[in-house]
Amino acid sequence: MKSPLKNYFIFLALFGVFLSSTIFQNLYAQDAKKNKVRLKADYVKIMDEEVYFDLKASSKIDKKNIGVANIELIISSEVDDEEIKLGSVTTNMNGESRFVLKDFNTLKPDSTNTFNIAVSFKGNDKFKRASKSISFKDAVIEANLITKDSINYITAILKDKSTDSVIVGESLNVQVQRLFMPFKIGKEFNTTDENGRIIVPIEEEIPGVDGILTFEVVLSDSDDYGTVKDLVNAPIGTPIVDESTFDQRTMWSPRNKTPLFLLILPNLLTFGMWFIIIYLITKLFKIAKS
Amino acid sequence: MKASEKLIKDLAPRKFNKAGVIWTWTLVIISVLGIIAYIDQVIKGQVVTNMNDYALWGIYISNFVFFVATSFVGTVTVAVLRLTKNAWRTPIVRIAEIISLASIIMAGITIMIDMGRPDRLLYLFIHGRMQSPIIWDVIIIPTYIVISLLLLYFPLLPDLAILKKHFKKTKPKLSKWYGKLSFNWTGSVAQKAIQSKSIQIIAILTIPAGFMLQTIDAWLFSTLFRVGWDSTNMGAYFISGASVAGIGALVTVVYVIQKAYKLEDYITDYHYDKLGKLLALTCLIYLYFNINEYLLPQLTSKKEEITHTNVLFTGEYAPLFWLVTIGGLIVPIILLLFKKGRKPLPMFLIGLLVVVGSWWKRYLIVTPTLLHPFLPIQGVPESWHHYFPSLHEWTITIGTLAMALLIITILVRYLPVIPIQRTADEQALLETEENKKS
Repeated sequence: MKSPLKNYFIFLALFGVFLSSTIFQNLYAQDAKKNKVRLKADYVKIMDEEVYFDLKASSKIDKKNIGVANIELIISSEVDDEEIKLGSVTTNMNGESRFVLKDFNTLKPDSTNTFNIAVSFKGNDKFKRASKSISFKDAVIEANLITKDSINYITAILKDKSTDSVIVGESLNVQVQRLFMPFKIGKEFNTTDENGRIIVPIEEEIPGVDGILTFEVVLSDSDDYGTVKDLVNAPIGTPIVDESTFDQRTMWSPRNKTPLFLLILPNLLTFGMWFIIIYLITKLFKIAKS
Repeated sequence: MKASEKLIKDLAPRKFNKAGVIWTWTLVIISVLGIIAYIDQVIKGQVVTNMNDYALWGIYISNFVFFVATSFVGTVTVAVLRLTKNAWRTPIVRIAEIISLASIIMAGITIMIDMGRPDRLLYLFIHGRMQSPIIWDVIIIPTYIVISLLLLYFPLLPDLAILKKHFKKTKPKLSKWYGKLSFNWTGSVAQKAIQSKSIQIIAILTIPAGFMLQTIDAWLFSTLFRVGWDSTNMGAYFISGASVAGIGALVTVVYVIQKAYKLEDYITDYHYDKLGKLLALTCLIYLYFNINEYLLPQLTSKKEEITHTNVLFTGEYAPLFWLVTIGGLIVPIILLLFKKGRKPLPMFLIGLLVVVGSWWKRYLIVTPTLLHPFLPIQGVPESWHHYFPSLHEWTITIGTLAMALLIITILVRYLPVIPIQRTADEQALLETEENKKS
């Protein structure tokens, strides 16, 4: 016969193992090393449109840089040791997010006319807290289309807005907006002259929808001014002939755009055959009656 | 015994003997196993099949095409022989009508088996695009089922009335059913006129419907830009192949029924000889289209076509390809050219060869093409280049074949396999002519 005491000790031993494993699990969880988060912030200003910050959170895990998804990033403006919260965003599955500034005037510059922005992450169970600061001055680009001797040019003046002075020696990109990648025109480097100005001739016969081209003049990723962009729409392109069959009735269209012959012929055949079938079935009943 | 009484006694449906009962129960068991496997497939999903990203159509579609092809027997024998006034057709047309109906019903069921979500069947009608041959198939299959049913039913009316009378005393319940199904047939002049006209209309209707069915089936393949399918030959190729499969099946079933019901007085060597010649003709036409289908790509030597034909001629599928081509087509043609080859037993064996060859032929049409797509994907697992059906697929497919045979068996059990009234009329006509001569 088994001793009840023995069973009691076995139960206690098993319970002890279960309890200890749970405790150790928690201890281990507390000691688990959190990963570092690296934040990246880019300031982008599109003239007369919007100002935004492109943010990216990444972490090196198992020697691989991966985007940190679903974390909240807080964006603040720093003025004289004072932080003013501008808002917050959550990263997407790639660890990226965009914070669009509703009103540029909410930003206050410091004594050197520099804007200081801080991006911070509070940290969580898996990742340590992190922050990133960026500084920039407010620059403006005034781009225009001009025509001289039947040749079209894009001219642009780059200015520091706070001092209202032109910026000399900065390189601006001139490009045409395309579906996937912009199409660069002019020289590789279009450096602003002593008047803060560039002038770039436009090639002929650049195709565009309805002949409208959207030119971008871009100060790209400047240390002092970030990215600033001005857009110019001009009807000087070669109109693209739309060869899309989207609105036509084709074999590859959805069902509401079936070619008419395919609606008429098969339906005629189907209804024709079923008409005969129904006629024959009525004949069966006629046989029964006659 | 009067000649008419003997005729009814010979041709009226009768109970199966022991072998018939065993045969029926075997079919029931196989069908049930197939249904169980299908239920399991619905629960677990098509992961139970060996289909993959390349072989996205497998044995189910091959089987579907085989059933569609076999159903063509109604068009090629019943309708064509009637419209061309071939009197020798009488003892075989009913069997052809039964095979045609059973095959097209099973074709409709088999295509649903291939659907990953059969509960969405209605979507085909709600969201179907008229540009797609699949929708044409969805329309033509139910249409052909009804036409095949009418093709079987109208000529049955006088026989059902005869059976009602015949079983009145011995099997009153059965007699009552025959009476209901005979639509009060009395054989009056008015009824005969309506029936005759209706059969003529169905016979004419069956031909375009049958051709449409086979052509749509072919276009399911040829409208896809794939080697082995992308061919203008496919419509005619499928129609000729369907004639072979249908007549092959007919020959086989006719022989089994003749032996089981001892119908040697009604289905004679003369009928086998005629069927043999018809089968030889259809096999020759099919061989011609096969040459078109395989020789031209070989001659034009496009890279993808060569890859495909090499797989069939000398590669992985070569044994099956040559077995199907030689065993299922060339050997039957050679044997059928000789009078001895058109005797009952050789015809039965040839019919079997042709049917088995026809089934595997559909497998060869579907599978190798899928394994060699025009646009190969990078890093494709080696397993995607090969396909062999899983146990589920085999069980379900064999189950559907058993179900088709079960439908034929049940119809053979309860319907006269040779038209009684028509045979009596022909015999009476023959006697009158002989009397006139004497």
